[in-house]
Amino acid sequence: MPSGALLFQSVILGLLLGGLYALLASGLTLYFGIMRVVMIAHSAFLILAAYLAWWLHENIGLDPLLSMIGTVPLFFGAGLLLQRGLLSRLRPATLTMMSVLLTFAVALLVEGLLGYAFSGTQRRINLGYGSAGLDLFGARIAVVKLIAFGLAVVALGTLWLLMKRTRFGWALRATIQHRDAARLLGIDTERVAGYGFGLGLATAAIGGTALSLDTTIYPSLHWHWIGPLMAIIVVGGLGSVPGAAIAALLLGLAQSLLQIPMGTTWAQTIFYLALFVTLAFRPQGFFGGRLAQRF
Amino acid sequence: MTLTVTDLRKSFGGVTALDGATVAFQPGRINALIGPNGSGKTTFFNCVTGMIKADSGTVVHRGRDLTGKAPHTIARNGLGRTFQLCRTFPRMTAVENVLAAVPPKGLISGLRSARRREETDRAMGWLTRLGIEHLAHAEARDMSWGQQKLLELAGVLMAEPQTVLLDEPAGGVNPALLDRIGALVRELNAEGRTFVIVEHNMDLVMSISDHIVVFDRGRPIAEGPPAAIRTDERVLGAYLGV
Amino acid sequence: MPSVSRVLKIAAIVLVAAAILAFPSLAPNPYVLSAGVLVLNYAVLATSWNFVGGFTGYISLGHGALAGLGGYATGLLVVKGGLPAFAALLVGAALVAAVAVPVGFAALRVRGASFVIVSIALVLILLLVFQSWASFTGGSRGLVVPRPFDLSRPEHHRVFYYLFAGLLAVALLVWWLIDRSVFGLGLKSIREDEDKAEALGTATFAYKLMVFVVSAGFTALAGGLYALWFGDLDPVFQFSILTGSYLVLMALLGGVRQLFGPLTGAIIVGVALEYFKVEYGDTPLHLVATGLLLALVVLFMPDGVLPAIGDLIRRFTPGDRTSIREVSAAELRDQRLQNAGGTR
Repeated sequence: MPSGALLFQSVILGLLLGGLYALLASGLTLYFGIMRVVMIAHSAFLILAAYLAWWLHENIGLDPLLSMIGTVPLFFGAGLLLQRGLLSRLRPATLTMMSVLLTFAVALLVEGLLGYAFSGTQRRINLGYGSAGLDLFGARIAVVKLIAFGLAVVALGTLWLLMKRTRFGWALRATIQHRDAARLLGIDTERVAGYGFGLGLATAAIGGTALSLDTTIYPSLHWHWIGPLMAIIVVGGLGSVPGAAIAALLLGLAQSLLQIPMGTTWAQTIFYLALFVTLAFRPQGFFGGRLAQRF
Repeated sequence: MTLTVTDLRKSFGGVTALDGATVAFQPGRINALIGPNGSGKTTFFNCVTGMIKADSGTVVHRGRDLTGKAPHTIARNGLGRTFQLCRTFPRMTAVENVLAAVPPKGLISGLRSARRREETDRAMGWLTRLGIEHLAHAEARDMSWGQQKLLELAGVLMAEPQTVLLDEPAGGVNPALLDRIGALVRELNAEGRTFVIVEHNMDLVMSISDHIVVFDRGRPIAEGPPAAIRTDERVLGAYLGV
Repeated sequence: MPSVSRVLKIAAIVLVAAAILAFPSLAPNPYVLSAGVLVLNYAVLATSWNFVGGFTGYISLGHGALAGLGGYATGLLVVKGGLPAFAALLVGAALVAAVAVPVGFAALRVRGASFVIVSIALVLILLLVFQSWASFTGGSRGLVVPRPFDLSRPEHHRVFYYLFAGLLAVALLVWWLIDRSVFGLGLKSIREDEDKAEALGTATFAYKLMVFVVSAGFTALAGGLYALWFGDLDPVFQFSILTGSYLVLMALLGGVRQLFGPLTGAIIVGVALEYFKVEYGDTPLHLVATGLLLALVVLFMPDGVLPAIGDLIRRFTPGDRTSIREVSAAELRDQRLQNAGGTR
C-alpha cells in the first residue's frame, strides 16, 4: 500500500498533467467540431513548439515562456494555411478518411524535418528554476509543472471567453453546430473555419511550450502524445471542450495513480484501454458529445 | 394494416422532432405524408426505417415488430425507401447500383458472382421499366439528377419491397419526368405495392394519393382522402401558421 | 471482340508475372535478391491492406502492427511453443485473425474516423506492450526465430522469394474473387455510401468486420513469413507506424480500386525505399519523402497511377464511345435549382 503522501502527490501530479491534456485536447476538439477532421499532426506541432522553445533558449537564452510571443501567432498562421491550403481542397465525400491521411502526412513531414534540423538527439531545457519545487502538505511539486498547469488554465480560460463572449466565438460556435444555418445567417463559414484551425494550432504552441519546461524531447515524441489525446477526445464524446477537459483530467489522474503500482510505461496503456472500451461499448463517449454519432 | 406506427417520439437535444406520432397505413394504398417544413416527416421516415433510433414508440410491418431493428433488417423485411436528396452509389454503374440491392442470404451465396444471369436480367428489367436501360453501364455520377432519381427507385424496387417509402420523389424533377414518376407509382401500386410518400408538390399529392396524413409539430393532425384534406381547416391552419 | 486496352492489360499482367518469376535468376547478388524478397513482402502486405481500404474505403494506418503481430505470433509459437515453422505460421495467422475480431468490433461500430484512430492506437499500444513485456517477447533485445530450412544464404532468399510470390498470388486471387462476388458488391456499396447500402439491406457492420478479419489474416501470414525469412524481430521495426504508412502510400499510389494497384505501388515505393536505403542510409529523409508523397497522392491523385495510365491509353485509342451523359435542358435547370437550394 503506497503511503498517503505518495498518493496525494500522485493525485496532484495527475491533475496537473490532466490540465495539460485538456488544453491539447481542446485543439483537437475544435478541429473536429469545425470540419469533422481528426488532426493527427496536432501533437507533431506540439513537439515543434517545444523544439522552438528549446532552440531559442539554447541559442539566445530566451525564456521558453517568452518564445510564445513568436510561436503562438506563427502557429495560428500555420493552422490557417493548413485549413485553407490543404484540408479545404479535399472532396467532402472522402473528407473524413483523406483528412486523417493528409494530417498524418503533415505529422511525418514535421517529424522528419525536426530530425533534419535538430537530429534525433534527446534535448532538454535547463532552466534556473527547473529543479525548484514547492512542498504542499508533504507532497513535492515541481514549479515548472505548476507553470505548465497555469499556462493550460489561462489558455483554456481565454479560449472559453473567446468562444462565449466575442462575435468571432459566436460565429465559430454557430459554424460548429450547424454549418448551413450559420451560412444562412451571413457567416463566412470558410473563413471562420480557417481561423478556428489557427486557434486550435495556437493551443499546440502553448502546450508545446508548457511541455518543453520539464520534458526531454525528441522528434518522434509526438506519437506518445497523439494516442492519449485521441483517447481523450473519444472518451469525452467529441462534443465539446468541457467533455474533453473532464476526460483529460480523469485519464491524467488515472495514469498518474496507475504509475505507482505499474510503472510509467504500463500506466500509459490506460489511454488505449479507455479508447477501445469506449468505442466498443459507448461510442458516443461518456460526457455527452452531440457530434459523436458522426464520428 | 400493413404498417403500423405507434407513439413514435424523438427529440434532438431540446428540439422535439416527433411528438408521439401514431399512424397506420392500409395495404395497397398510395399514402401521402404532408405538412410544413420541420413538421417531422423525414424524421418519421428515418425512425421507421431504423436510420435514426427513436426515443420510444413501436413500428410493426405486416405483423412483424421492427422496433429498434437495424436498417438492413428492416429493409429485408419488405420496407424499402428512397432518400430526400436522392442517393446512389456514384462510382458504380447503374446495373451495379441495382444489383447492390439484393444482399446475399448467407456466406456461401455471398461468394457467388455478382453478375449471375438471372439477377442481372432482373436488374436490367427494372432499368428498362424505368426507362434508363441505355445507361446500364454508365457510372451513376455521370448521370443527370433525374436519371439518378430513377436509378435510386430501381434499386429500391429490385429488393421487392411490399411497402415503398419515397422521400420527396418530385424534388428537383422536371414536369415531364414528374408525370412519368406519378404514372409509375400508380402502376406499381396497382401491382400490389403500398406507397408512403413525403411530398411538397401538392399537385402530385392530390393527383396520385388515396390517403393523406397531415403532420404538424411532430405528430399527425388530420388524415383522410384528398378531397377531405383539401378543405380541412386544421390543415390550412398548420400551413399558414394560424 | 477484345478491345485494345484489354489486350494491353493482359499483356502487361503476363509481362509483370514473368518478370517477378524470373527475378531470382536475374538478380546479380544475394543482396539484390533479398531486396526483391522485401518488395514482394510489401506487395503482399499492400494487397492485404487493400481488402479493407479498396473495398470499403476504410483506411488503416495500423496494418504494420498486424504484420508485426503475425511475425511475433509465428516466432513465439516456434521458439516457445515448439511448433514446426509452417504450422506456427498458420496458427499465428489464425490467432491474429481472432484478435482482429474485437479490434474490428471497436473500430468499425461507428463509421468514420474511429477506424483510423484505432488502427494508429493499435500500433502504439502493441509497441508499448512488446517492448515492455521483455520476459515473453524478448523486448528490445529482439526475438531470434530459427530458420526453417538448412540452406545457404542465397538459396534461403530464393526459397522465400517464391514463398512470398505464392502468397501474393493467393491474396490476389482471393481479392479478385471477392471483387466479382455479391459480397464484394456490397462492400463496394459501403465505400460509396454506407447509409444507402444499409438502407438497401446490406448488413454493413458484419461486412466490414468480415473483410477486416480476412485482411488481418493475410497481413499476419505475410508478417509470419517475414519472421521466418528474416529470423530476428525487434518491436521498434515490427510495430512501426511507418510500415503502415508505406502500405497506405503503396496502395493509394497504385490505385485501390484495381486488383494490381497495390502491387504496382509496392514495386514503385518498395524499390525506391531500398534504393534510398543503399544510397543515403537511414535518415529522416524516409519520413519527409513518405509524408510528402502521401500528401501529394491524397491531394492530386487519390485514384492512383493505374487509372491514370488507363485514361491515357483510352485517350490514344480511337473509340466510338459517345458521351453517356444525356441531360436535357430542363434537367440541367433542375440540377442547378437543386444545387442552389441544396441546404435543406
